[in-house]
Amino acid sequence: MNLNSEHHISRLAWLSLILLGVLLIAISLGLSIGPTQSGLRSALATLFSPGESDPVLYRIVWGIRLPRVLLATIVGATLSLGGLVFQALLRNPLAEPFILGVSGGSAIGAIIGILLGLSRFPGICFTSFLGSLGTLALILIMSTGKSILRKDALLLSGVMVNAFCSAIIMFLVSITQDARLHNIIFWLMGDLSASDLPQVAILGAILIPCFVIVFVFSHAMNLLMMGKDMALSMGINIRAVTLVLLIVTSFMVSATVSFSGLVGFVGLVIPHLLRLVLGPDHRILVPASLFGGAAYLVLCDLLARTLPQQGEMPAGVITALIGAPLFIILLKRSRK
Amino acid sequence: MKSAFAVNHLSYAYGSQPVVQRLSFSIARGEIFIIIGPNGAGKTTLIKLMAGIIKRQRGRIDVLQKSIDSYSQKKLAQVLAYVPQGLPVGFPFSVEETVLLGRAPHQKVLGLASAEDLEIVRQTMAFTEVDHLARRKLDQLSGGEQQRVLIARALCQQPQVILLDEPTASLDLSHQIRIIDLMEKLKAEKGVTVVMVSHDVNLASMYADQLLLLKAGKIVRMGTPSAVLNFETLEETYNCQLLVDSSPLGNLPRVTLVPRKFLKS
Amino acid sequence: MAVIVWLASALPLMAKTAEDQLGREIQIPDDPQRVVALAPSITEIIFALGQQERLKGTTQFSNYPAGAAKLPKVGSYVRLDLERIVALHPDLCIAIKDGNPKETIERLQSLNIPVFAVNPRNLETMMQTIQRVGDILNASVKAKTLVQAMRGRIQRVDALVASIEQRPRVFIQIGISPIISAGTNTFIHELIVRAGGINVAAGQKAYPHFSREQVLALAPDVLIITSMSRSGAFKKAEADWRRLIDTPAGLGKRIYTVDSDVFDRPSPRLLDALETLTRLLHPELFEDGS
Repeated sequence: MNLNSEHHISRLAWLSLILLGVLLIAISLGLSIGPTQSGLRSALATLFSPGESDPVLYRIVWGIRLPRVLLATIVGATLSLGGLVFQALLRNPLAEPFILGVSGGSAIGAIIGILLGLSRFPGICFTSFLGSLGTLALILIMSTGKSILRKDALLLSGVMVNAFCSAIIMFLVSITQDARLHNIIFWLMGDLSASDLPQVAILGAILIPCFVIVFVFSHAMNLLMMGKDMALSMGINIRAVTLVLLIVTSFMVSATVSFSGLVGFVGLVIPHLLRLVLGPDHRILVPASLFGGAAYLVLCDLLARTLPQQGEMPAGVITALIGAPLFIILLKRSRK
Repeated sequence: MKSAFAVNHLSYAYGSQPVVQRLSFSIARGEIFIIIGPNGAGKTTLIKLMAGIIKRQRGRIDVLQKSIDSYSQKKLAQVLAYVPQGLPVGFPFSVEETVLLGRAPHQKVLGLASAEDLEIVRQTMAFTEVDHLARRKLDQLSGGEQQRVLIARALCQQPQVILLDEPTASLDLSHQIRIIDLMEKLKAEKGVTVVMVSHDVNLASMYADQLLLLKAGKIVRMGTPSAVLNFETLEETYNCQLLVDSSPLGNLPRVTLVPRKFLKS
Repeated sequence: MAVIVWLASALPLMAKTAEDQLGREIQIPDDPQRVVALAPSITEIIFALGQQERLKGTTQFSNYPAGAAKLPKVGSYVRLDLERIVALHPDLCIAIKDGNPKETIERLQSLNIPVFAVNPRNLETMMQTIQRVGDILNASVKAKTLVQAMRGRIQRVDALVASIEQRPRVFIQIGISPIISAGTNTFIHELIVRAGGINVAAGQKAYPHFSREQVLALAPDVLIITSMSRSGAFKKAEADWRRLIDTPAGLGKRIYTVDSDVFDRPSPRLLDALETLTRLLHPELFEDGS
């Protein structure tokens, strides 16, 4: 039998290193590719030996590409982890990080911020965050009491709230005048270009404790796979675990989305892909989702800004174009 | 008598609908205790209440002579194991991974397996005769094999009491016997108290030390199989025509259903 | 040492301070050599001032005059491509308040690139814009001449229009679906008024939406559609309106299409728009061929 603890830890370590390596490659590519031609070496040189590098390139890498790539890393990691957690909590393979009202609430918050003419940071980020907390609170209230443990109640409430929010969003979009409409649409499709390094640092500081908390609960998620009754009988405080995971995950997804807009398909596809390759143990899937999701989004964002000849696509378009067919393939694979 | 369970005036209602009403009984340690009764009698609810999965509304439950409330969820899991009828669809783990999950009540939060954990897993898989299936995915096994894996998992908790909800339902005959034999083995070799819900009255009579006949959330009769399984009691409880005689295997009651065509007019 | 080199190459020669049209004091180079225009109207102004040698980059739809099309593009004016701008190593960017995203401007400034903002809201402030841009590009004299010529053209139109007897009701449609027109605080409104018409879409909202019925109810005498290209969609819009002969515009066959680049941009060509509009609204003033 090869389940012993040392083996498990070493497998975890190896996988993390491999995925981290993939992520670093993705980040290097992201830093060195852009409208300004530069090689990998000169781009990396601006990071490690700024004194000897071309000042224009320095400005581009530090001021533009680095914040963007780091934001993609954080957003990809969070969304991917969020999808993993919700898929475990709700025991539903279609669960994704926006499913509990985050997409609806944050979008409404962001649109209101845009219509009020607030600046992006902290104004719109803040209203968007409040919006998603609002819908989360609504969903929790709707599923109070014992039924919070009934996963279907949460799921259904989430779907209803999102649908209702979509209607409100359509209404707000229809009454908006041209210039701000543009901003709204870009926000709805995911926009990784708008943050600078300090903002990215703040987001990272908020999120890393969340990642740690989720990792601590990764074995509890394994036990949750057996069903609520069984997990209870194994000593898991279902109510506490569900609430903590729910709140921490919703919080981190909301915080992320308020910076990046709605980037879809990362949280849906990456956990499934990793599960197929690495197996169902959440103690491995949690770190894998973090690195894997990050690498995926960095690469998708790279494609989003290099593929079009003029301007750039929203990152959410690429993640959907790649993610949707990938998801269908994965679904077929898992049926066998 | 050292009791495994002492239940006093246990009540539970679902909304305004009472499911279990003022039940009082006790179970001795090392006993095989089987709960029978018609559908809707509240058997599954009762066993979940005893396992601490559902919170009772009224009454008292003592596990190993201590109130169930005095146990933390984890401590309870170290003395009491629960085996459901099956696991949710799409349960992704392999047999050995599933059985290893049973060590959770004795592990720390990340559940990393120690050498001792692995030895216990190996032993219980041998005990329940599923060791040859170790790497297979649980959802690829037959019903009987799955049940044995779930029991192995429960045994990894090293419980003193094991609670099973209809473990032989929808199993073929040979698997039913294997499960029963396993329960006897548990009692004999490990002194584990076995509490079971069963719908098969004859099977229950063959190896129960005590039977509890439940109807509409109330105890109809409790005692040895011979005491409980008599003609009048059963006919009234199950509301159908029955024949009760002695089993050819020995001093055991045997219950035979009597379809209409066999009734003498 | 490395830091000093970096700073020195990053900061252009800071030689003068200028106040932009948002009232901000900006440090700009004495003699800007690498200017990036962040809107098509600004591009046109720079060319009109004869300073196109300084221009190194423009936005996507800077299509006039012909020389602008060859310049490197830095995204659209509502969605600027930060990296492309920085890659051109500009020593001055000229931005327009109505349209350029505030965040991008702020990031440009945080990267030590001076941004001079203009805010033309009507003909008068637009002429001030031209003068200011001329000043900072060391073309003050040229700017003054240009502005004087523009004022002359405006005065001529004012004189012509002063003699009219009746002001026609005008609806200018700038969006197809939904139908959008221009309210009081817009260039188009000012053009209509100066050209001797009444803007039926006048009101607080800058770009109000209309349903077809609402337009019919307003009963405009003249209907003008601005189109971005001779594309099919706009031709169809024109045809649809023509079918509605129950409007005075329809009855009088006074439905026209004009080039939106000329009508919507706060650039010198706005004077062409004014003259065109006057001609459309009051053909009787030009019967003698003037």
